[in-house]
Amino acid sequence: MTLKRRALLGSAMSLALFGASQIQADTADGDALIGQDWDAIVEMARGGEVNWFLWGGADNINQYVSDYIGGILRDEYGITLNRVGLTDTAEAVNIVLGEKEAGVMDRGSVDMIWINGENFRTMKQGGLAWCGYTETLPNTALINWDNPAIANDFGVPVDGCEVPWSRAQFAFAYDAAVTENPPRSIPELLEWIKANPGQFTYPAPPDFTGAVFIRHVFYHAAGGVENLLGEFDQAKFDEASARTWEILNEIEPYLWRAGATYPTSVTQLNELFANGEVALNFNYEPAQFGLGVMAGTYPDTVMSYGLSDGTIGNTNYTIIPFNSPNKAAALVLQNVLLSAEAQLTKAQPDVWGTSPGIEMDRTPADVQAAFAAIERHPSVVSAAELAENALPELQASWISAIEQGWLANVAQ
Amino acid sequence: MSDRIKIILLLAPAMAVIGLLFFGGLLVGLMRSLNYMPVIGLTEPNLDAYVAVFSSREFLRSFLLTFHISFTSTVISAAIAIAAALLLRRTFVGRGVINFLFQLNLTVPHIVGAIGILYLFSQSGSFARLGYAAGLIERPSDFPALVFDPYAIGIILQYVWKEVPFIGVIVLANMQAIGQDYESVARSLGASKWQSFRHVLLPLIFPGVLSASVMVFAFTFGAYEIPALLGASHPQALPVLAYKAYTNVDLAARPQAMAMAIIIAVLSAIMIVAYTRATRARIRG
Repeated sequence: MTLKRRALLGSAMSLALFGASQIQADTADGDALIGQDWDAIVEMARGGEVNWFLWGGADNINQYVSDYIGGILRDEYGITLNRVGLTDTAEAVNIVLGEKEAGVMDRGSVDMIWINGENFRTMKQGGLAWCGYTETLPNTALINWDNPAIANDFGVPVDGCEVPWSRAQFAFAYDAAVTENPPRSIPELLEWIKANPGQFTYPAPPDFTGAVFIRHVFYHAAGGVENLLGEFDQAKFDEASARTWEILNEIEPYLWRAGATYPTSVTQLNELFANGEVALNFNYEPAQFGLGVMAGTYPDTVMSYGLSDGTIGNTNYTIIPFNSPNKAAALVLQNVLLSAEAQLTKAQPDVWGTSPGIEMDRTPADVQAAFAAIERHPSVVSAAELAENALPELQASWISAIEQGWLANVAQ
Repeated sequence: MSDRIKIILLLAPAMAVIGLLFFGGLLVGLMRSLNYMPVIGLTEPNLDAYVAVFSSREFLRSFLLTFHISFTSTVISAAIAIAAALLLRRTFVGRGVINFLFQLNLTVPHIVGAIGILYLFSQSGSFARLGYAAGLIERPSDFPALVFDPYAIGIILQYVWKEVPFIGVIVLANMQAIGQDYESVARSLGASKWQSFRHVLLPLIFPGVLSASVMVFAFTFGAYEIPALLGASHPQALPVLAYKAYTNVDLAARPQAMAMAIIIAVLSAIMIVAYTRATRARIRG
């Protein structure tokens, strides 16, 4: 069965189940829950269910959600977790949007969505998110809301409308057997490219990974990301982008194939790197370099690393729609997801291997010890080391302006 | 029930599929290309998307590239296919085996062929490695750029590899049906080998060559996967450009993507008519 059909069938099934659950206490009124005693919320949620819509394209993630998280909810809280797999998160956002348009204000079919970036912006702009409840969750204490990369989702302030789940951060990679001193900052990289002609390239946007690389140069050209946060600013963009295109055109003759062509996808870049045609590679998920070595695509000597002037990280979140009728159960689910144990399990390489959305040094000592003991693949840079120099993502309007500008000023 | 009704009824399922899926899709695409999408509140059709597409230099360059790919692939494939068919219709030892090998890659999907081209001809591919072992090149970048290259050599190689047997099989069947009698008569009347081929055999097999070539041309003009896999980042083949516009996060690019798709369909139709007329006139004349 295709993912889409499974998602549709899943939605239909959860709708049917939802109808039956109406005898349970309806917790659609969010205001009544905010600031409530946590035990009271857990009691309200008991015996209910929660419909979580999330991307369903990876078996290990599905298993973690259905078996591990679903098991905790069932055994400890008597809550049934309905995991509804999606191929594209926008599908769930569209359901909520459609319900709002149709006037379904407290009987919505979506209780929670795994989300970030543009979809979050749509939810917030459309008034589709339930906000202001995060302090009610006991495990909010584990979240570092002072970290701008947590408090802003692709540049949009979170404002208590969602809670973090996991983090990913950009990292570079090189083959230690071939390259001795890889460049460890954007200025060093630009020098290195000129000193090593033909050894570097980046995928052309709209490739996601290539666009992230260009944003690193853009941040450098703007003199730091601090100047770029917030709403799109044409004047700031013009200044920083002019400098960015200048830099990228200046290095172009020193790129792979003298910049006459660029890889069109990160997959192509991975091939070039694996075949030794280029000396550097990069990815938003450093764990993939370990997977590449294990699969035999890359030699054991491949190492990933961060930059001293920082690499871009993003956080992904869970959000509760304004019209969810099971808000108490959704809160319990969020609290479980944020718990030290659940985050520790999620970080295990054989479960998922993704970075926690919480601060691990705020967790109990035994969890911290277990987290520190997780055996990273030697080729994968430690998430803690990367996180020391983390840069936030920009708002979506900046991102598309940079991509369009690159196509017009560098590609041609 | 009259024969006519029977035929119509028997054809109905196939026609329904073609009518609904093909013309239905074309119609929806045409509507969207005209900025007509009532679902998101666009109810005033206009030609903005076409104006934007035709005034873009990128589109023109993509069109020239795509035309080059289709035209070159078709002409080379047809020429090699005719030459191969002329040899394969003779009787010789091992003909069955050669014939089988000749047609073998008809069963290989285009994508698999493209990956093969990548492994063989890329700058770190098998031939580059052989060249390195033989001391001809020192590093991958010394090997000529045959894939992701501005002249689309890799794409054309892939199409020729795949389409020669396709045209060849049709031409061979054609030649075998015609037999060698006409040529024998021409030769007995004093025609040279070339004259009997050029003025007797070629006009006879020409309808088959033509229809096969038209299929190849139309296919290569509208195909996405090969230029997506083997093409340079810029300029890109029209179908790749259209798909890129279709997946753009900016919804405003959607009508332009549809406009490009419609233009691809119209252009291939026009060029097929032109190709058919031009070659027919040349061969008969």
